Amino acid sequence: MNSERIKKEFPIFRRKVNGKPFIYFNNAATTQKPRQVLRAISDFYEKHNGSVHRGTSGISAEATELYSNAREKVADFIGAKEQEIVYTKNATESINLVAYSLIKSQIKKGDEVLITKMEHHSNLVPWQQLSKLRGFKVKFVDVKKNGELAVEQFKKKISKKTKLVSVAHCSNVLGTVNPAREIVATCQDKNQDIITLVDACQSVPHMPVEVKKINCDFLAFSGHKMLGPEGIGVLYGKEEVLGKMQPFLYGGDMIREVYLDWTAFNKLPEKFEAGTPNAAGAIGLGAAVSYLEKIGMENVYRHEKELTKYALKKIKYVEGVKVYGSAKERTGVVPFNLGIIHPHDVAAVLDKYGISIRAGDHCAQPLMRELGVVGTARASFYIYNTKKEIDVMIEALKEAERLLA
Amino acid sequence: MTATKHHRDSEIYSEIIIDLYKNPINFGKLSNPSITLQGGNPLCGDEVQFELKLEAGIVKDIKFTGHGCAISRASESLLSEMIKGKKFEEIERIKDEDVFEVLGNVVQTRVKCALLPLQVLKQGFMKYREKPNIKFASGLGV
Repeated sequence: MNSERIKKEFPIFRRKVNGKPFIYFNNAATTQKPRQVLRAISDFYEKHNGSVHRGTSGISAEATELYSNAREKVADFIGAKEQEIVYTKNATESINLVAYSLIKSQIKKGDEVLITKMEHHSNLVPWQQLSKLRGFKVKFVDVKKNGELAVEQFKKKISKKTKLVSVAHCSNVLGTVNPAREIVATCQDKNQDIITLVDACQSVPHMPVEVKKINCDFLAFSGHKMLGPEGIGVLYGKEEVLGKMQPFLYGGDMIREVYLDWTAFNKLPEKFEAGTPNAAGAIGLGAAVSYLEKIGMENVYRHEKELTKYALKKIKYVEGVKVYGSAKERTGVVPFNLGIIHPHDVAAVLDKYGISIRAGDHCAQPLMRELGVVGTARASFYIYNTKKEIDVMIEALKEAERLLA
Repeated sequence: MTATKHHRDSEIYSEIIIDLYKNPINFGKLSNPSITLQGGNPLCGDEVQFELKLEAGIVKDIKFTGHGCAISRASESLLSEMIKGKKFEEIERIKDEDVFEVLGNVVQTRVKCALLPLQVLKQGFMKYREKPNIKFASGLGV
């Protein structure tokens, strides 16, 4: 994989940051966009913009075709059927869709939902808040000292009351890859009816993911974390599970027949896509998927693992550095602190070197408490990053240490 | 790509910020404070506790403890020095710009860090005016 060449396809890397070449290490938050994605979006608006599913004109049909072609690409990408791909605005909405739909008929007072202490706020706050509204209980699987999930606890913590288990495929903080397939199998072993949701925000962009292998009922991810535009996300749902579930939002497009006092809902996946959809977003995501497929997800994963290994080796030479998590299987995420220097100060120094990282709680405050910190600095890698860029970061970290320690 | 060359410290933070971060003024505790003002920003984990000695509406002495980033630490030193010997009314008139005048400008994303101590103090004084016998106010600055 030639990262230098890939980088040239991303217009943003032509710019400088503070007079330095732009180094982007905040990929777990959002990714940059290649010109193929940008062109797909502008092409749509310049040549094919019409209302999807509405209107009999040629332009509307073109827009509809592009929109559904993109869905086909996304479905193929994770080994799903087209009707199992619901477009949302992001993974947060995907998870909320599942949560709100299930509390309408399937999750009731006295039931239990099992999640983990590793979750991003997006897979924690919806369950916590709706549990207060509906009177179900949220239980948590612990995180071990090395940053792996205490997977053995799933068996113990699943009870007869457990209706849903929701877990991150990869930690956005520690990079830990959780054994999603094994966790889903454990749930089904205990009770066939347990609904399983995998938050795949940090896995689908970075490694091959096949929903049929994981065998989860739902899988959520965001377009902007995988070279696609913002405002488009995906909820994969098994056809039979989506079929039984109540709609999330009501309105146009999700209906087949409407009378003053009753409505027949549309087929899948439109039943879950109320209102005019984000067609440009979906088309942009489709282009991103094509781009990633051309590189090959095995190659993406290998590249990031190599960078992570290199970064972990090099960062040890920076005085006072502490890296969090030592899971055996991890993605391209390196969380660290530099002595008692505040992560925001570390980020400020790196910014002067043209390097963007994330500093703070990474939308995972409960996990920060588990780690005993208020925040960390975090470098997260993607296809356009190189070892040379990591070298620049190491130099910058030494400078931060010299300046502030 | 050796980024260290021709790189001056002052480009990252002003010299005064670095200096006050490494050598804070008024850092520590008072033996018998009239009032303690505690606050912070839970999003970035900054925490500060000001202890003040008050006499006839004047800040006779002030010390602070806590932890945070270089900018908030420097701002704590500066403000504590700024308000020593001043009347409440004078302190309440301190504007955000007054902080930046001494601290130097900070990037937009860090304005909150620079202003946190001023907010803690102002909110604390407001509570003190409402109830002059309170010894402790917390949850300030958010």
